[in-house]
Amino acid sequence: MSNNVANEIKQDLTNFSPENFSKGDSLWNKAWYKFKRDAMGKTGATIVFIYLIIAIGVWFSFWGGTWSDTSDDLWVGPSLQHWFGTNVIGQDVLTRVIYSTKVAFEVGFIVAVLSTVLGAVLGALSGYYSGTWIDSLILWMMGVLDSIPFYLFVAAVAFALKGNAFAMHIAMISTFWTGTSRVIRGEVIKLKSQEFVEAARSIGVTENKIIFKHIMPNTSHILLVQSTIAFVAAIKSEVILSFLGLGVKDGVSWGLMISESTQDLLAGHFNNFASSSIFLFILVIAFNMFSDAMQDALDPKKVS
Amino acid sequence: MDILKFALRKLLGGIPLIIGVTFISFLLMVYYGPDLTWEKLGKNPTAQDIQEIRHELGYDQSFSKRYALYLKQLVTFDFGNSQVIDKKVSTILKETMPVSLHLIIPGFILGNVIAIALALFAAYHRGSWLDKLIMTGSVIGMSISFLIVIIAFQVFFCSSFGLDMFPVRGWEVYDASGAIIWSQYINYVTVPTLATVFVALGYNTRFYRAVLVEEMTKDHVRTAKAFGHTPTSLLFKSVLKNAMVPITTRVMFSIPLVVVSGSLLIESYFGIPGVGKVTYDAIIAGDQNILKAIVGLTAILFVLVLLLTDILYRVFDPRVELK
Repeated sequence: MSNNVANEIKQDLTNFSPENFSKGDSLWNKAWYKFKRDAMGKTGATIVFIYLIIAIGVWFSFWGGTWSDTSDDLWVGPSLQHWFGTNVIGQDVLTRVIYSTKVAFEVGFIVAVLSTVLGAVLGALSGYYSGTWIDSLILWMMGVLDSIPFYLFVAAVAFALKGNAFAMHIAMISTFWTGTSRVIRGEVIKLKSQEFVEAARSIGVTENKIIFKHIMPNTSHILLVQSTIAFVAAIKSEVILSFLGLGVKDGVSWGLMISESTQDLLAGHFNNFASSSIFLFILVIAFNMFSDAMQDALDPKKVS
Repeated sequence: MDILKFALRKLLGGIPLIIGVTFISFLLMVYYGPDLTWEKLGKNPTAQDIQEIRHELGYDQSFSKRYALYLKQLVTFDFGNSQVIDKKVSTILKETMPVSLHLIIPGFILGNVIAIALALFAAYHRGSWLDKLIMTGSVIGMSISFLIVIIAFQVFFCSSFGLDMFPVRGWEVYDASGAIIWSQYINYVTVPTLATVFVALGYNTRFYRAVLVEEMTKDHVRTAKAFGHTPTSLLFKSVLKNAMVPITTRVMFSIPLVVVSGSLLIESYFGIPGVGKVTYDAIIAGDQNILKAIVGLTAILFVLVLLLTDILYRVFDPRVELK
């Protein structure tokens, strides 16, 4: 027993020995090392990767292309032909669920990338110029966007864009950036008084270059974590918005499937509701696990 | 006196926020919003009929005039008539506000109190299997969509496929004089409350635990422990009281959004005639007068919450200065 413990400690010590961090001992090296030891994080990442492959497969029409085909088997239960059964007009639930994966990834990816970029740029500007009118303006904008009820904002954008298919994406991007922006602003305020920034300024580097070339790369680990949070939020919002009739209009998504499944539930057919919910739940929980592990790995100060 | 002066200054400071919120939502929702002219017209309208309707809806006025009218409405709390139902907006809100409050309050209180209790427990047993169990539960709670919880709970508690113990839809909890019938109230409020609490617990427990753990690793707590304080006094006096600032912030700031967004989904799904249902119907029908009122009032609520939060900080931490 004690021998075991001793061995473990020895193992740990060799693991943490300098040669493991030989490549400059950077934040990313250490994070990757920490992440590799996080079983939950690895499981999450694997599941997300499987979903990604499903989504890419739909993209290249390897599968899921027949999501709108109807058949004569109405409301049948799971069988070999229809793994998850069929819905009220005989569409195969599995195909629809698989096709919806692509829709979810599209929404999540577009919203996560663009809202993170927007939040990074505006947050860095407001942090670097903290105390000036630029900062006040950006802070005011964040306060305003945070105070409009989300569903109403989405509805307003949908009104203004006259039912454009990307109204939901635009509404999400224009509200999700505020969270990232607040975090980045705090970090930039901390970074801008450090020596490397002072050094850059003293040799005459322009302010734009200081903000975007010297300071911003030092916030990349925060941006990575924030983008995974935005991804999850976007997928979850899509479901509720599509249910309310404010989200995906053409095609099919998990939200639309849940929406149509409320009719099935009244008649006692659960396969439509259960499959779309479970697909959504597993992706979201895997992403949350992945995101948590990344936060643990990338934030040296975090106490958990 | 100081507090009064502070409150006044804070309220004035909230004006830019209200202007911003009302301007953006006015621009998107009303100015570029749906045109109700044709829905209000009868068959074969003459040019004059069209003119009259457009005048009645205010479409013939300039942007600045219409926006100024909105601000005036917000100050006087008189938003005119609903454009779809033949009722004053203020009357509609007066009727539906109590319904929403009765619906939300139990879930809101329970969701926060239980979460703080669980978080205290988890933070105290940090690293043990109890902590891990609670945190795993909270990640699961965070990952289930609110919509799925509502539907699943309704099937489980209200339909013949599950327990069939509660009514599926509706809100018949007031007697003829408008007073609450408590047995009916419990009957109708239970399932929505369970759904709200279930979802709130995931996010809240996680947040509160993080706050509490951070407080718990501080030196003064270690000293108190070394001096032999009991776990209760340690948790409530040294940890919870010091963590009250971030906790109040979270609780207070969720109030305005919970009132509109939180109840929108529940009310429209359970068919409860509250503010959320009115908002949802107004979104679908494009009833701008109601939407204007709700957005404007939410912004005002936000400013009041900001003020109240600052005063509460002072209560929990006398070192905080009101400035």
